[in-house]
Amino acid sequence: MTNYILKRLGQGLLTVFLTVSTVFILIRMAPGDPAVSYAGPLATSDQLAAVREQFGLDKPLLEQYWIFIQQLITGNLGQSYSFQAPAMQVVFERMPYTLTLATSAILLTAVVAIPLGVWMSRRPDTGREFGVNVLTIAGQSMPDFWTGIMLLTGFAVLVPIFPASGFATWGGLVLPTVTIAILQIALISRMVRREMTANFAAPYLTVARSRGVRSSLLTWRYAMGNSAIPVFTALGTRFAAMLNGVVVVEVVFAWPGVGSLIVRALETRDYPLIQATVLITALLAVGVQLLIDLAYPLLDPRVRLGKAATA
Amino acid sequence: MTASPETQPASPNSPKSAEQPLLEVRDFQVELIADTAIIRAVDAVSFTIHRGETVTIIGESGSGKSTTAMGILRLLPEDLAVLSGTVVIDGVDISADPKAIDKVRGKTLALIPQDPMTALSPVHSIGSQLFEAIKIAGAASGKDKAALQARAVRLLEQVHIPTPELQLKKYPHQLSGGMLQRVLIAIALASEPQLLVADEPTSALDVTVQGGILDLLLELQEQRGIGILMITHDLGVARLISDRIHVMKDGAFVESGEVQQIVDHPATEYTQTLLAAVPVLGPWDETPTASGRRAAGPSTTPDPALTETGAKP
Repeated sequence: MTNYILKRLGQGLLTVFLTVSTVFILIRMAPGDPAVSYAGPLATSDQLAAVREQFGLDKPLLEQYWIFIQQLITGNLGQSYSFQAPAMQVVFERMPYTLTLATSAILLTAVVAIPLGVWMSRRPDTGREFGVNVLTIAGQSMPDFWTGIMLLTGFAVLVPIFPASGFATWGGLVLPTVTIAILQIALISRMVRREMTANFAAPYLTVARSRGVRSSLLTWRYAMGNSAIPVFTALGTRFAAMLNGVVVVEVVFAWPGVGSLIVRALETRDYPLIQATVLITALLAVGVQLLIDLAYPLLDPRVRLGKAATA
Repeated sequence: MTASPETQPASPNSPKSAEQPLLEVRDFQVELIADTAIIRAVDAVSFTIHRGETVTIIGESGSGKSTTAMGILRLLPEDLAVLSGTVVIDGVDISADPKAIDKVRGKTLALIPQDPMTALSPVHSIGSQLFEAIKIAGAASGKDKAALQARAVRLLEQVHIPTPELQLKKYPHQLSGGMLQRVLIAIALASEPQLLVADEPTSALDVTVQGGILDLLLELQEQRGIGILMITHDLGVARLISDRIHVMKDGAFVESGEVQQIVDHPATEYTQTLLAAVPVLGPWDETPTASGRRAAGPSTTPDPALTETGAKP
């Protein structure tokens, strides 16, 4: 087991390293000049050169990369151009906001999507199930910027129940959470229904029914127990993806998270800030994925005992 | 034979155990609703099973024998199968009141499924599934862990599973098919059932294991006087354990009778074909016989000769 974790950690770190390296190269290949963003459009070429020298952008690419690697090892990715503060610190300050939004969105998704999917699987081919089915297809099809703007118009402007932007009060969490969750609920509930339907048709369920197991136990203990693994994986993967910043939703609601931060960093060509954001979100994504994999054995004895046998 | 005197409803005055059949099926019919048509999968079959009896329904794949069993147990999807006729299990008429099946499931009635490898939930341990059956049977309360454990161990011992304490902690994928079938029989026995419905209980198992499972069923029947409804396509199995056989084809019984009578004097061509399909053990170099029986090769069924020496009296 320890070997397995070490191996997975190594793989994860390699993934993160390759990701940040790719980003390092891509942002330098992309059009746009950080010096122009920083010094403004009226700056003279001497001023621009001074800025480039200050940021170390006048050095050859390989040398810049070497400096970047040294920074990676020390964990200090340099000063953000636009914030004039250590880039890592700027990201860390934004992280809790994204973490809060992602957590509340994934919780809402799980709390709604799992019972909804189970309900759909137990009432196939009824009128109401058809209605919910259509709604989930709609939820899947609506782009989140549109959902966000509609919710804003509805519940922040026309009927001002919730704040339109920012995270000044807990009420501010509601609309962005709902915006993210609508799509996720649509996807996850359909997945739950698919898994449950497959498990309801499984032989062990028929055999359990033949020995008088109650219907509620058949649903939750048997069908859900066996559907839990793929559903849990999907929820975990989506949570990891949300930690990378729910960019569009954060921008729509002016949410002070990592998503809106990376948009600003990209606009100003703030290389250290882009790199720091990518580094931290990649580390988080890989970390969450590793946790999901480590939690597998808790849900699936076949994985648990398989590992024990090979170790 | 299908309309034997036994099919008459038990009169209330008659001595219970001797007269009232464990299972009484009259004009039982199953219609399956398919996309384009309604298929009559089981067409007006009638039969009875008494205590200590084994009645076998034999037929090819698709003949409706498993559908008969699943229909009697009300395990067919309700929206796809329309049942009619009378089914009385140990005095409980489950055709009049579909909810009545809950009174017999996990109590007087138990199913032994076709494929033991898929018949247990893969994410729950053997023990938890056995404990659950014991709790449903009311044999031990969920709170009394020690009593549950003791009862579970005793059940596994009865089906001859070695080191039962260790097996309880295991998961289905860790046991072989034969062991799982024994576990399933133990789970079925948790409620001290009167009637076992065995739906091809050996067809998914190795030949070497099949005989052991059949012996176990016969042993349990002898000890407890259980009635068994055996579904099989395998005449070797049927000969070994049945008292009576119903030969099924296209949803109806084409022939019914005592085992020996059917084997010795098959009345229909269909039964003759089934008989001819039974392979016989012989020397490896034996040439195919005129009757069309497959010569030599490993037998896929217990040797029919076993009937002479088998456990069945």
